Amino acid sequence: MNSRKQFFKEISKLTKFHYNNSKEYKKIINLLYPEKIIKTVDSIPFIPAKLFKDMDLKSIPDNKVFKILESSGTSGGKPSKIYLDKENAKRQTLVLNEIVSNILGKKRIPMLIIDEKKNIFNPKKFDAKTAAILGFSLFGNSHHYLIEDKKINYKNLNNFLDKYSTSNFLIFGFTSYIYQFLLKDFEKNKIKKNFSKGILIHGGGWKKMEAIKISNKIFKKKLNEKLKLQNIFNYYGLIEQTGSIFFECQNCNCFTTSKYSDVLIRDKNFKILPSNKKGFIQLLSLLPKSYPGHSIITEDIGEIIDNNCNSCFGKKKFLVHGRAEKSEVRGCSDI
Amino acid sequence: MMEKVNYLVGNSDFSLDPFEPFSKEACVFLNNLSNELNSLKNIKDYPDLKALSFWCRNKNISKLKKNFNLEKNRLGLGVVFHITPANIPTNFVYSLIFGLLTGNSNIVKVPSQKFEQVSIICLLIKKILKKTNILLKNKITIVQYKNNNEFTKKMSSLCNARLIWGGNQTINNLREFKINERTLDVTFADRYSFCIMDQEKMRNMKDIELKYLVNRFYNDTYLVDQNACSSPHLIVWLGKNSKSVKEKFWKKLYELVKIKYKFTESALVEKYADLCKYATHLNNIKSIKKFDNLIYKIELKNVDINNHNSRGKWGLFFEYSLNDINGIKHIINNKYQTLTYYGVDKLLIKKFVLENNLKGIDRIVPVGQSLNIGLLWDGYDILNLLSRGIEIQ
Repeated sequence: MNSRKQFFKEISKLTKFHYNNSKEYKKIINLLYPEKIIKTVDSIPFIPAKLFKDMDLKSIPDNKVFKILESSGTSGGKPSKIYLDKENAKRQTLVLNEIVSNILGKKRIPMLIIDEKKNIFNPKKFDAKTAAILGFSLFGNSHHYLIEDKKINYKNLNNFLDKYSTSNFLIFGFTSYIYQFLLKDFEKNKIKKNFSKGILIHGGGWKKMEAIKISNKIFKKKLNEKLKLQNIFNYYGLIEQTGSIFFECQNCNCFTTSKYSDVLIRDKNFKILPSNKKGFIQLLSLLPKSYPGHSIITEDIGEIIDNNCNSCFGKKKFLVHGRAEKSEVRGCSDI
Repeated sequence: MMEKVNYLVGNSDFSLDPFEPFSKEACVFLNNLSNELNSLKNIKDYPDLKALSFWCRNKNISKLKKNFNLEKNRLGLGVVFHITPANIPTNFVYSLIFGLLTGNSNIVKVPSQKFEQVSIICLLIKKILKKTNILLKNKITIVQYKNNNEFTKKMSSLCNARLIWGGNQTINNLREFKINERTLDVTFADRYSFCIMDQEKMRNMKDIELKYLVNRFYNDTYLVDQNACSSPHLIVWLGKNSKSVKEKFWKKLYELVKIKYKFTESALVEKYADLCKYATHLNNIKSIKKFDNLIYKIELKNVDINNHNSRGKWGLFFEYSLNDINGIKHIINNKYQTLTYYGVDKLLIKKFVLENNLKGIDRIVPVGQSLNIGLLWDGYDILNLLSRGIEIQ
């Protein structure tokens, strides 16, 4: 069976599972999709990511909840709450592992984390960032943290570089942290070695980059100029679909889907758009089983790209152009 | 951090004195404003400015004057401090007009967000004041500031009335600032509005009539993203239930919205999220129908006392059908502001409100007039509230 057919079969099954196991999801489907006919991936119902902020959505009984993943809620307001059971948490790790090992291989390498240790090992907070760092930590060993008390710890960094910079090592962080600490604050004269053997994986936080108008391309160029970093992998993903992330193709810079994910672009009326047309990004993932997050409509604008790139040949790929244009709502009510 | 107060019209040397309601100067000023607005080259780009110009015209002001008691025993209260809502660009002018017609000096705080309409109006007011109107000269002061509690505190302590427009939060914040014993707070709080239409009257409607009705309904709702307090959220269909009448209405509305409404992208997913939320939270939904993403319609099986919490934005409506208007008396509370009607006798609605001793419904107006602001607003008789009656025996 080809992988897209397999994907459709599984995502349909997952939709039925959530329908039968989440009271809220069932109500939404009954009222918004009364015809209940799913013939293609296009007809899989989708819900907005925002719903996970406004209500508790889960497809497991309360006593099966193993972990609650919370979004940072940076854009103000309530954080998203993602309910995970043990099985779902495990699947996230396994799939992430599979996707990342395509880039890093199966061998663990030394890892530099562009964050603070105390942010990560905070038992009270398990947010998207923590989840990402812990998830990616599995690909590294000899973990070092770059930041201490909001400043770069150069001693620690030099220590790390002295030991490991002669062969491949992994650098991981959120995009805005990479920008802040490896580009803006970084004082090159304080290190003796360079980052040329580093493999940087970064994702998230691009809203901040958009605000300061630094494109992905410039970002890469700057990192290359400043730190001699050559291998930079940007990824895109939703906290609601942790694990099945979309890595950027090193050649054409498009995000690519895996066998666990799919992407669709919809217009203002949620009709499917063809390739090379901009619209709302809908993301599908086979991972969310303990909560109905397998098909999500985002507020991000993007487009499917058809190109002849040799590096990601045969994969479905897309670009993300940013958030949907915001404008003040008219009227006199409180919002 | 305290921000500077920006004087858009006038300066810190403002008057605290009252004058006669419906003074000649105030009426002339408003007529001038109407003319100035009307002669703007790009007026047609601003339907709200056009509506304002229409409102201020001589004919309307004279009509209002006629309704006012002519005993000439009234004076304004003194100085009115207006706190106007953050997201309706022209609302502050109406508040100012309330103050002017009742014979008061005015300090008007306008939205801190930059609206072109605000700058245009302030420029015109300055122009008119420069030319004539010695009386009004320091009686119109328009300010803009974001965080300046000192200024709010000072104005609150010296004004004779505050007109506070905005959400419940804004009003409660303002209440923190003390006012004088004799000072009056008039609050225009968050309200809920709905619409009532008679299916039987609509059954034999001509296409052109339906088109006209739908247009007016559009102006009550989509024109302000369905987010004004007087925009309806619920449509109550009276009379013998007719699926085809309702279907025709929605279809016609859809055709209009499709060509006319500019829907901002970010609102779209939020609107869809609202729909999903209602689908999960409400237990009285009969069905949901979507006309693309332009109209979402939630049909209700029954309505209850919490109905005013179910609200739509950007064209999300609830509908409920019943035979007799008295079937909804149990849902009306003091949150209800405007009831727009079509095909229903207004006297019947008046009777409904009065005979049932309802706490809500302050306005009963035809479909299309929900946003038309008047001197009887939110149940307040503005003219009498903002002026002082002198007993003479």
